[in-house]
Amino acid sequence: MSNKEIMPKQKHMGMKRKNAISNFFIYFILIVMVVVWLVPFVCILLESFRVEKTWQVGYVIPHEWGFGNYVKLFTETDFLKWYGNTLLIGASAAVLQTIVVLAVSYTLSRINFKGRKFLMNTCLVLGMFPGFVTLIVLYRVLSDIGLTGPNAVPGLILIGVAGSGMGYYISKGYFDTIPRSLDEAAKVDGATKFQIFYKVIMPLAKPIVIYTILTAFMGPWGDFMFAKYIANGSSAGMNVAVGLQYMISSPGNISKNYTMFCAGGVCVAIPITILFMCLQKYYVEGVTGGAVKG
Amino acid sequence: MKKILATLIAVVLVSAMVFALASCGNNPSDQPKTEKLEGTYNILVWTSEVKGVKEQVKEQIDKFVAANPGLTINATIEGIGEGEAATQMISSVEDGADLFFFAQDQLSRLVQAAALNPLGVETTKKVKESNDASSVKASTVSDKIYAYPATSDNGYFMFYDKSIVKAEHLDSLEDIIADCEAADRLFSFNLEGSGWYNASFFFATGCISEWETDATGKYVSVNDTFNSDQGLVALKGMQKLLKSKAYNDSANGADFDAAVKSAVVISGTWDSATVKGILGDNYGVTDLPSFTVDGSTYHLGSFSGNKLVGVKPQTDAKKAAVLQQLALFLTNKECQLERFEKFGWGPSNLDAQKDPKVANDETLSALALQNKYASPQLSIHGSWWDIAKTYATAAKTATSDKELKEALEAYEKAINGLFNMSTDEKESFTVIGKFADNEWNKDVAMSQKPEGTWYTDEPIDFKAGDEFQVRQGKAWDVQFGAVDATTGKSTKNNFVVPTDGKYYVKLVFDKATGEGVVTLEKVNPSTGWTVIGSINGDTWSIDLEMEPGDNGVWRTVNSYEMAEGTEFKVRQGKSWDVSYGNGTANFVVSEAGTYFVEFNPDTTVVTLVKA
Amino acid sequence: MRKKNDLEYLRLNKLQKFFYRIGFFITNIPKHLLTFFIFIGKFFVKIFKKIGNEFKFLGTTFVHGSWKTKISYFILGFGNISRGQVAKGLLFFLFEAVFIFYMITSGGYWLGKFQNLGDAAQVQVYNPTYDTYETVPGDNSFKILLYGLLTIVFIIAFIVTWRINVKQCYLCDQIEQSGKKVKTNKDDLKSLLDNNFHKTLLTLPILGVMAFTIIPIIFMILVAFTNMDATKDGYSNLFTWVGMDNFNELFSFRDSSGGNLSLAFGEILSWTLIWAIFATFTNYFLGMFVAIMINKKGIKFKKLWRGIFVLTIAIPQFVSLLYVSKLFAKNGLINGLLMDWGIIKEVIPFWTDPTLARVMVILINIWIGIPYLMLIATGILMNIPQDLYESAKIDGANVWQQYTRITLPYMLFVTGPYLLTSFIGNLNNFNVIYLLTGGEPTDPRLLTSGGSAGSTDLLITWLFKITTGATNNYKLAAVIAIMIFIVVAVISLIVYNIMPSNRNERDFS
Repeated sequence: MSNKEIMPKQKHMGMKRKNAISNFFIYFILIVMVVVWLVPFVCILLESFRVEKTWQVGYVIPHEWGFGNYVKLFTETDFLKWYGNTLLIGASAAVLQTIVVLAVSYTLSRINFKGRKFLMNTCLVLGMFPGFVTLIVLYRVLSDIGLTGPNAVPGLILIGVAGSGMGYYISKGYFDTIPRSLDEAAKVDGATKFQIFYKVIMPLAKPIVIYTILTAFMGPWGDFMFAKYIANGSSAGMNVAVGLQYMISSPGNISKNYTMFCAGGVCVAIPITILFMCLQKYYVEGVTGGAVKG
Repeated sequence: MKKILATLIAVVLVSAMVFALASCGNNPSDQPKTEKLEGTYNILVWTSEVKGVKEQVKEQIDKFVAANPGLTINATIEGIGEGEAATQMISSVEDGADLFFFAQDQLSRLVQAAALNPLGVETTKKVKESNDASSVKASTVSDKIYAYPATSDNGYFMFYDKSIVKAEHLDSLEDIIADCEAADRLFSFNLEGSGWYNASFFFATGCISEWETDATGKYVSVNDTFNSDQGLVALKGMQKLLKSKAYNDSANGADFDAAVKSAVVISGTWDSATVKGILGDNYGVTDLPSFTVDGSTYHLGSFSGNKLVGVKPQTDAKKAAVLQQLALFLTNKECQLERFEKFGWGPSNLDAQKDPKVANDETLSALALQNKYASPQLSIHGSWWDIAKTYATAAKTATSDKELKEALEAYEKAINGLFNMSTDEKESFTVIGKFADNEWNKDVAMSQKPEGTWYTDEPIDFKAGDEFQVRQGKAWDVQFGAVDATTGKSTKNNFVVPTDGKYYVKLVFDKATGEGVVTLEKVNPSTGWTVIGSINGDTWSIDLEMEPGDNGVWRTVNSYEMAEGTEFKVRQGKSWDVSYGNGTANFVVSEAGTYFVEFNPDTTVVTLVKA
Repeated sequence: MRKKNDLEYLRLNKLQKFFYRIGFFITNIPKHLLTFFIFIGKFFVKIFKKIGNEFKFLGTTFVHGSWKTKISYFILGFGNISRGQVAKGLLFFLFEAVFIFYMITSGGYWLGKFQNLGDAAQVQVYNPTYDTYETVPGDNSFKILLYGLLTIVFIIAFIVTWRINVKQCYLCDQIEQSGKKVKTNKDDLKSLLDNNFHKTLLTLPILGVMAFTIIPIIFMILVAFTNMDATKDGYSNLFTWVGMDNFNELFSFRDSSGGNLSLAFGEILSWTLIWAIFATFTNYFLGMFVAIMINKKGIKFKKLWRGIFVLTIAIPQFVSLLYVSKLFAKNGLINGLLMDWGIIKEVIPFWTDPTLARVMVILINIWIGIPYLMLIATGILMNIPQDLYESAKIDGANVWQQYTRITLPYMLFVTGPYLLTSFIGNLNNFNVIYLLTGGEPTDPRLLTSGGSAGSTDLLITWLFKITTGATNNYKLAAVIAIMIFIVVAVISLIVYNIMPSNRNERDFS
């Protein structure tokens, strides 16, 4: 204790060295982690450029490089169709789901009305029921209105949008952080509730809007359980995940299509990676409920 | 609604019968079997997702249309693997394909889900004539053919690396394992992952697993001898590989090129192109080897199977007919040969099998070699594939015969448990034994009424000396037979029938003590008839016993004095739900006397017979 | 446990407070239960009172209401139309017309069949003309159950609409009696953007959830009381109501013929809980750790580090997990490299040894989960007032103390609700298990207990196997779904009660 008071300067030097050492360790750990995290990603990328063999092999670096797998993917399969389907589903989800989620979360966060607590509790309870056992019912309903098989795309959009109201949680958290005094000031100025929503709060909610759009857009790219059921084997109604799954589903096929499957995975990863890189800031802001705003 | 529907069905059934009879009487030449196929049909076809198959099927359908002027088919063809097609069909038959290729083990599941239209009489004949016997058997559920054989190549055999496995070792599993271990290579055999592969060892020692379905495709019984001394030998053989460091639980041709390379892969025709591509000159393919336990050698068996084409049931008979002819066409010699040439699918068509190209194919020859030891893969309960994994997993860690036996016992218990019994079924009793057409192989149902008293639903035609047991839940955990003279309770010894006659088997079961008494009864009180009324001054309170005669007519055990004007009725099960007298009114005695009451349940007529 | 007063409570340190809260919760379970039952009782009393009042209201309104109101009891919207609110009135009337039309044309039919879910299944009949079989259609239990349910929902919706219609007439009567003017359609429309703005925003989302979430869930709950499975599919063999039979089967603890579902359920449930705890907390703490490292002053390329981790979110899991599972296969790259380097003599059975497989899925889940947690933690960490750390440093707190006294409490406070939702999410984490192991390796004891479960199966993947497996055992799946629901609800309730940040949602800001 006394040491510290007598020799503050030395301590400062020690701190600096300690800092450097700890920084070194942090860099070391980060580099190791980054390698671990990147290995599968890089491996899949390399697989997709390997043209000499189509099956899973025991080495990483291709012996022969080329775009053959991509060419085959786009010319010999319906990949383009699946990709288009997924883009369409993703884009529609990004628009419609965002509207629904924002409407619900805004209302639950900032409007006091009878039954508000009840609605929130209901959503919480509904979320605890393992949803996918209802698959067979949803299939039957969609099938009866003709939105399965080749018409699965609108069906998937419908189901996605219909249920999205329950995912209000994070964005409600964000709205909760916007000061209430803003509403009150606007109200005093004679604004209607719609005007408050549209002109006062929305401009402040950009991060959460982008966050919601991003998550809504990403969802359909990895959705295969439900989409497979709804597509019911019709290639025209599949999304990329289902289409790629079918490519490797039977025992002989995995050896014939594996590298093409990886190429498909890379194609899926590209738009999401780009979006994520560009919008990372908003994603972080949105997900932490505006904490960055301080 | 129920009535309307029932009438409708009845009308349709009757008219169908009339038609059938009428056409039987006709001269075969003017039978309308060659009804011209015409019209426009939209059909959905599911076939293998293997590249090029869809296109080929499309061409073949076009050929079929060209051969039938006036017929137009708009076919949508989707690629769905044969393994997946059944699951996909069952998830919604309504939206499923009209015509689809599937693996034969799914047959009974599909029949059960009414996803397959049975073949017509003529078509059945054609299919039987032109395909090999095992493929026809594979398409049959209790005497009816439900599908069209498309291939006979769904089996497994051995791919090996010639540079590792020495040619003189090919006959011995032990030598092959040693070769692999020495070279630090793996031996891929999907033993833990799939019953389809690990059954190989059991077939080697002569074990069987034969499953029986009823006409609706529901499994009713199994004859499975895996839990036996031979089964134990099989598991010991399997252990040799399971416990080897070379063992790899997989069945993938690409294993030859993995990070830790395999030297042997047990797989099927679908992998032959891949394996050839990897091994090149070292490509070797042959039948499975033999293993030796306690000095005896057993050649590994396998499943042999088929791909089949199925047609979905249709409400439109014309469409059903078109699909039937199309399925027949798609599985004929030419189409099967085309598929062989392009994809290497081994034909089920007998003529196609004789084609020199097929006969000389290297991979198919290995399959043919193995087929000598193969068991045709008939209908097998869908859960069996999972249950059969258990003994392999257990054998891997087991160190003693006792543990192996336990694994087999657990297996047997699990497959017996498949006969999906409800709690009611598990608690109910049945009669099984050697009588009438029963050879200890059929359970005769019993019903409980009242609580604790069980009767067979129908009387059994016993001969003196017949033997039987009453058992619970179709299992031998709780069983009752002959009655011990001293205790008056049934023992586990067989009940021996003393005299000929039609009897109900009766069991009085005490749930609390677990004891029971088996007796033979002429009458089942819940279906038996009794007389009740004002006989002997009774006030409709006592049921007088009746007994059935050989002609089916029931007669009171005793005769009774009846005054004129005495009224009575004959009723069933001592309840008023069903009762007869003079029609449904009371029977009134018109002349005093001593009578037996007789009742004929078929005509529901009550008569008095003077004693 | 004695309840501590505020002063005593405040003297405890964090950990003691936490355990105190848990202990307090547990000792109070009887009290909670009592409160719960009293609540239920009160709830029913309230409901009955409400229903009584409802009838009273409807009766008195009819007796005392104007003739317009009286007619509105039978012709919906009449009151609105006669008072000039034509559009609204027509909507009411249209709804009634559609309702009556539907009930006559098909609603009655479905309701009639609902009681026993159909009488006659389809049959296949031989047609000698074409030498083929044709299908004579029959009832379809599945459709009857579904459309019967929809009809009931429709009837309820009609009753509610009818009640609104009556209420509106009643209000109009009141307004007219007091001599004021009734609101016009235009006023109503305007209010939808102001006082009734929440109705505008919520109507469609609620309808969507109603139609595609609530009704299907009710349907599946109903299925739990039928005998629907592969053999009773609803059209070739009808299914029907069986009461509590399926629940009895799950809890019968019988082992007479192989099926001991209770055992399987118990085993899988406990592994599911272990998995969820590990998956949630490893991700949580490691993710926070990574975020702290990247956020540390003096660490460069912050954006790059984050970006690389985020990259793994971008590849769809069905591709990356498939690759990872192959990577660790017996003949996979990892084993290959270890063999080549001479580290191991025999391959490691990553996926075939039950314990190892369980550890592996938890480890690989870290690989997936850390990026998300890192992003969340990053934002929150940046938001912690820096002066807290400064003053802590002046007080001589080391890094660890700073972490436990400032960072961790703050994180826990802010992310409490997130932890709960992610715990629930992990209980139902289908993708990771399904894609990595598919529930394997085989566990003979579980497998033979019914439902074909493997060692790494969670309840949710087990449910999937039961639904899609050879037996298509929908009835059992429905029962297990209800059980999962109960488990999740109970856990949430407990966690919610001992969580620090549950007091007031407004505290969150």
